[in-house]
Amino acid sequence: MAALGAARCLFRSHSRVKHVQKSKHMLVKCGARTLCSGTKDTDDAKPQFTDPSVQDILTRITGLDLQKVFRPIKQELKPPTYKLMTDEQLEQATELATEQAKKLLKMPPVLQERKPIYDVLSVDKILAGTDTAKYVFTDITYNIPHRERFIVVRETDGTLRKANWEERDRLIQVYFPKEGRKLTAPLIFKEENLKMVFSQDRHEDVLDLCLVQFEPDSSEYIRVHAATYEDLDKHGKYELLRSTRHFGGMAWYLLNACRVDGLLVDMLKKELLQDAVSLVSLFHMVHPHSESAQEAANQQATGTDLLKMECGLQQRGMQQVSILTVWVVVNMLLGLKESCTEQPDWRLMYSTKMH
Amino acid sequence: MVHLSSFLLKNYHGGYVVIRLALAGHKQANRPFYRIVAAYNKRARDSKYIEQLGTYDPLPNIYNEKLVSFNFDRIKYWIGCGAHPTQSAAKLLGLAGFFPLHPMTITVAERQRAQTLQAETSTAEEDMREQSQKEADV
Repeated sequence: MAALGAARCLFRSHSRVKHVQKSKHMLVKCGARTLCSGTKDTDDAKPQFTDPSVQDILTRITGLDLQKVFRPIKQELKPPTYKLMTDEQLEQATELATEQAKKLLKMPPVLQERKPIYDVLSVDKILAGTDTAKYVFTDITYNIPHRERFIVVRETDGTLRKANWEERDRLIQVYFPKEGRKLTAPLIFKEENLKMVFSQDRHEDVLDLCLVQFEPDSSEYIRVHAATYEDLDKHGKYELLRSTRHFGGMAWYLLNACRVDGLLVDMLKKELLQDAVSLVSLFHMVHPHSESAQEAANQQATGTDLLKMECGLQQRGMQQVSILTVWVVVNMLLGLKESCTEQPDWRLMYSTKMH
Repeated sequence: MVHLSSFLLKNYHGGYVVIRLALAGHKQANRPFYRIVAAYNKRARDSKYIEQLGTYDPLPNIYNEKLVSFNFDRIKYWIGCGAHPTQSAAKLLGLAGFFPLHPMTITVAERQRAQTLQAETSTAEEDMREQSQKEADV
């Protein structure tokens, strides 16, 4: 019974595949725009990255693979320690490990780009030409936070101005050095070198380095993160970041850019239906005026119905080929769960459709 | 609680605390680096000081900046205890904006400007003279 229904869907989708192939290029653009149309709401109404509900969903879709979080990192070579434990002790140890992993998986902040500083404190034309070099004065008082520190530059033409953000970062690193941070940014963050590193699948290392080197609201940080997420989205390598602290940031970036299709497909391929559902609900939270969100509100769909409806809408919008097959897969999986009979060779059909 | 300098120094020798530039790294030739320091007046320039209040690097770095650092909190404390800044320390603080500009900074700037103006006018006069001589020759 379920197999018949599935076969029907397959037939329907197959007929549509031909049409979509031709008009794919034109309609992909339209599809993305219709999904994101009407997102001109104010910043107050929009849910922010730091909202507890958003954070909750993002932590859930990050996953918690202990093997990956605690995989061996480059450290001093020590012989491994072995402990003899009972089952109870092993459970306690795993619990401790999960808590430690949660701390390690804490998401780095996502902030708006910082506004440049243009404050001029005084203009003394008398001093123009007295010196060939500028003087930079830093306040070394220990108890003040770095954001409030006074860093002031006396230019060669006599103006006394506040230092801009790059100068500030450099000087704070000179007088209050932070471990791992260099005075000049490592060459890995240049465009050409980033491309090379991405081809070696080392996105996580780049993001860790970026976190250490730059402030979270600097333009460099945002640029590097955007480049990394774009590359991941283009090649579909979401698995690289799956159980790391950067997954939430990537999901948030893709949500704001309305390009969750790739991530959704990846989740469904890995059969993480709960994660897919939470991703879709997060999308509706962030873009409450989009088509799918309004439909969901009308029908009050939850769980897997939400997924089916989402895929159905996208099918009607005639977007990418992948979403159609996803719809097929979802129906297949649900059919499988209901009937629990023999394995149909949908995997064969699915793989042929994808490529 | 005001810092009580050594009783003997203050009353017998008439010593007081100064904020001055002390040369650091005296074993390195041709590379000066100053520490801004609160020390007793009678002590040698580079010897034992009471507290370090900052640094001054007179040679510009690759960004053409001379780096100066001040611990303003402690400088305020020492000035409150009656420390006197020396001329160069006061000039630096004036350039930083913490003190008003030192009169010597302004005087030196004006003198430099007058000198450049004079040099310009004298070169202009020489050029004029040369031109008139050439015309006369021709």
